Amino acid sequence: MTLEEILAARPSPGQPRAYNFPPFERTVMPSGLQVLAVHVPGRPLVSANLIFLSGAADEPADLAGATVLTARAMTEGTDRYPGLELIEAAERLGSTLHADASWDAFAASVEVAASRLRAALELLDELVERPTFPAEEVARLRDERLNDLLQMRAEPRRRVEQAFSQAIYTPESPYSRLAGGDESTVERLTRDELTAVHRALLSPERAALVVGGDLTGLDVPRLAEEVLGSLARDGSGALGTSAGSKSPLAGRIPVADAAVDRPIVRLYDRPGSVQSEVRIGHVGLRRHVPDFHAVQVMAAILGGLFNSRLQLNLREEKGYTYGVGAGFDMRRGAGPFGVRTAVQTAVTVPAISEALKELNRMRDTLVTDAELAVARDYLVGVFPLRFETPGAVVGAIGGLFVNGLPDDELARYRGQVEAVTAQDVRKAAQDHIHPDRLAIVLVGDADVVGKDLEAAGFGELEVIHDELPGEVDEPGAPQGDEEGE
Amino acid sequence: MTAPTVRFTDERLANGLRLIIAEDHLAPVVAVCIWYAVGSKNEVPGKTGFAHLFEHVMFQGSRHVAKTEHMGLVQAAGGTLNGTTWLDRTNYFETMPSHQLELALWLEADRMATLLDALNQENLDNQRDVVKNEKRSSYDNRPYGQWFHKLQEQLFPPEHPYHHPTIGSMEDLDAASLEDVAAFFRTYYAPNNAVLAIAGDADPAQARAWVERYFGEIAANPRIPPLGDVSLPPTLGAESREVIEDRVPLPRHYFGFRAPCFGDPRLEALEVACQILAGGKGSRLYRRLVRDERIAQDVAFFALGFVGGASIAAGQATVRPGVDPEVVERAFEEELERLGREPVTADELARARALIETFELEALQRVEERADRLAMLATLLDDPDLINRQLERYLAVTPAEIQAVAAEVFRPENRVVLTYVPAAGAARGQDEESAA
Repeated sequence: MTLEEILAARPSPGQPRAYNFPPFERTVMPSGLQVLAVHVPGRPLVSANLIFLSGAADEPADLAGATVLTARAMTEGTDRYPGLELIEAAERLGSTLHADASWDAFAASVEVAASRLRAALELLDELVERPTFPAEEVARLRDERLNDLLQMRAEPRRRVEQAFSQAIYTPESPYSRLAGGDESTVERLTRDELTAVHRALLSPERAALVVGGDLTGLDVPRLAEEVLGSLARDGSGALGTSAGSKSPLAGRIPVADAAVDRPIVRLYDRPGSVQSEVRIGHVGLRRHVPDFHAVQVMAAILGGLFNSRLQLNLREEKGYTYGVGAGFDMRRGAGPFGVRTAVQTAVTVPAISEALKELNRMRDTLVTDAELAVARDYLVGVFPLRFETPGAVVGAIGGLFVNGLPDDELARYRGQVEAVTAQDVRKAAQDHIHPDRLAIVLVGDADVVGKDLEAAGFGELEVIHDELPGEVDEPGAPQGDEEGE
Repeated sequence: MTAPTVRFTDERLANGLRLIIAEDHLAPVVAVCIWYAVGSKNEVPGKTGFAHLFEHVMFQGSRHVAKTEHMGLVQAAGGTLNGTTWLDRTNYFETMPSHQLELALWLEADRMATLLDALNQENLDNQRDVVKNEKRSSYDNRPYGQWFHKLQEQLFPPEHPYHHPTIGSMEDLDAASLEDVAAFFRTYYAPNNAVLAIAGDADPAQARAWVERYFGEIAANPRIPPLGDVSLPPTLGAESREVIEDRVPLPRHYFGFRAPCFGDPRLEALEVACQILAGGKGSRLYRRLVRDERIAQDVAFFALGFVGGASIAAGQATVRPGVDPEVVERAFEEELERLGREPVTADELARARALIETFELEALQRVEERADRLAMLATLLDDPDLINRQLERYLAVTPAEIQAVAAEVFRPENRVVLTYVPAAGAARGQDEESAA
């Protein structure tokens, strides 16, 4: 055969190898702590993730940022390991201790050789049970956060995210804020607030330890009981919300995710910008939605796949942008739905028009069979790739715990995606994309794009002139703006 | 804990294509990675940014694959993919469910054999716009965005191919023609200028047969122009400094040094030094500048390995509000120079070794990383087996070797210092291009 004949014939796939999401075992400790262990054969590095169901969304407004700051301060020393000794002890195990808080949860995690799992768990236990929150380190971390807020204002990509959250949520919603807090609250945080946050989150009944890797010869529940069995029982749950609830979701007060339900067109002026950072969207969905899989397929076709409708239009046809995406950030409460892109300044208005067209088209017409097939086949086919490492498997199981999802959610995932029809996709778009209350938020050059934006008829334009970073000597001066990390 | 050995075969097809297959069946996934020995260092003046623009053209179709179809076919098969361009090379990779390996090989072969059949002005113009937007969003519209380009410019003399940025200049991108693209393809995208690595859940005999079938008949290019002499004096000779006004709220220093080439054991010693200097909260720079003296908001230090004359060792420190930037610079440089004066402690070295061991194991878990490393080591060093000796080489680095390389590299006359300062009330920044 000639090369031409060989290349002219497209190969067809072989027989797929069976794949199942690794099954995990659940043990509930006497303290109420759940231990979820997943054996991933042949993986000598073990991931361990200790999760507490208290996150930034549970904070009262005047403590915004306290949970994230608490997490960051927890690695700053414990009773037994003052100062950097905790970090150093972990490094001797070849591990880095991570502690961080999201909207929904606090998590401390470590990756370590299976043979050193006990020692690593002991450090995790130190970190969560006995942090000392030295006042001077808390002050330093607080100042670092304030400095980071200054940096954020100078970065169009971060600035626009903050502005977008502020546009789509009412001020009462925690999601209108930054998970890490802003100047108005962070400045006030001291070790007293952090100690209180820590006491509240430390409830074993609202906690899970997820461990994954090659667990041959390891009795994870027993290790967990021996190392973490003493986890204090006096945690009251999230600050000011669902104190003492037994199961992760039962009795929990839903976070306020109230939406601003009018169209907004808001431009943050950044003179000289060669691109406009653009966000278009509104409040989206919580993770608990009955049509989750249809939404996933719809979002892939709209703005998730490399060849999504938005990408084909704005990038591959028009060349307006290096990339454009769209999707739902699903949290325990309704996270944002948004189109995200950065476009050359001169084409800002046409790029927004095209994006709006694609949002409407998603609702108005059925996706083609080919579009549906690519999206479904991608989500189903890429599933084993997503879970190649124990870290990814542990992360996914942690997500089930945080969102209160059934144990077989991941095992059923591919079948449910395969069952999605074109009608389901259109219904998901009609139910969850709302062109009548879109916020269009930009960071760009108002001199160049302002007039066109006003004339475009997207809605009444608000132009906001940020204080330019540049002459700032001390953090804390700018008035509080919000973000949505 | 010992690192699992990566077993692989290493052979050449008759047309010069180097084929490396690393079989392992832990997960039902397989990675295909192809490295072409052409990067921005092969560009000539007036044609900067070309290797990278070309990488984009490689996704615009070939004789049997329509525009954007490469991406579509891989994703519909449940795969992930991308391509990247750097100073020394261009690479393309697909990670696939293992039963889709043949598709990835066919796609790579079709574009290596027939790319020019699909090349047209419309696609070139479109990707030129996309790349110009990539430049805007990755560099021009970002605070501190040009730091690496400025380091390149000052660490390498104008006639050296590392002097110019991989993304290129707007003028050169505008000037790129169809003839340029075609010539670039004919010159560099030949099987004898490529390494194809396959890692993961594959049957080696079957994979080899597919590679022979799809790539075996593609003609070699016997006249790939050599790069010429890119050797450099090991040090810069004189310190280079620049103060840059930008729309930034906090001043920041960037530091750059010429360093030993990729593959030189001294670079490995330097990488261990980087870990001790700035690898996390237990490191020297973090401890002193961020934690104890509280003069920096953040610190970083790392080495980027290159084969063409010198590597780059680089770092940064963001100055806290109210602190004199000179104080931060002095403290940073003192810590670098201290490494050259006195040996690291046994505990520091032990912690660095333990962390490097975990990083290596973590990275090599993934088939995509294994394929990429094998192709990289074959392309740049002709030594794919280094994948199995790399960790032990890191672990064997001694305090004396760290001290020696630090003393060689961290010298004032080998240093570039860029200091970004907030623009004095400037509304317009230094973005180099207004909307066209």
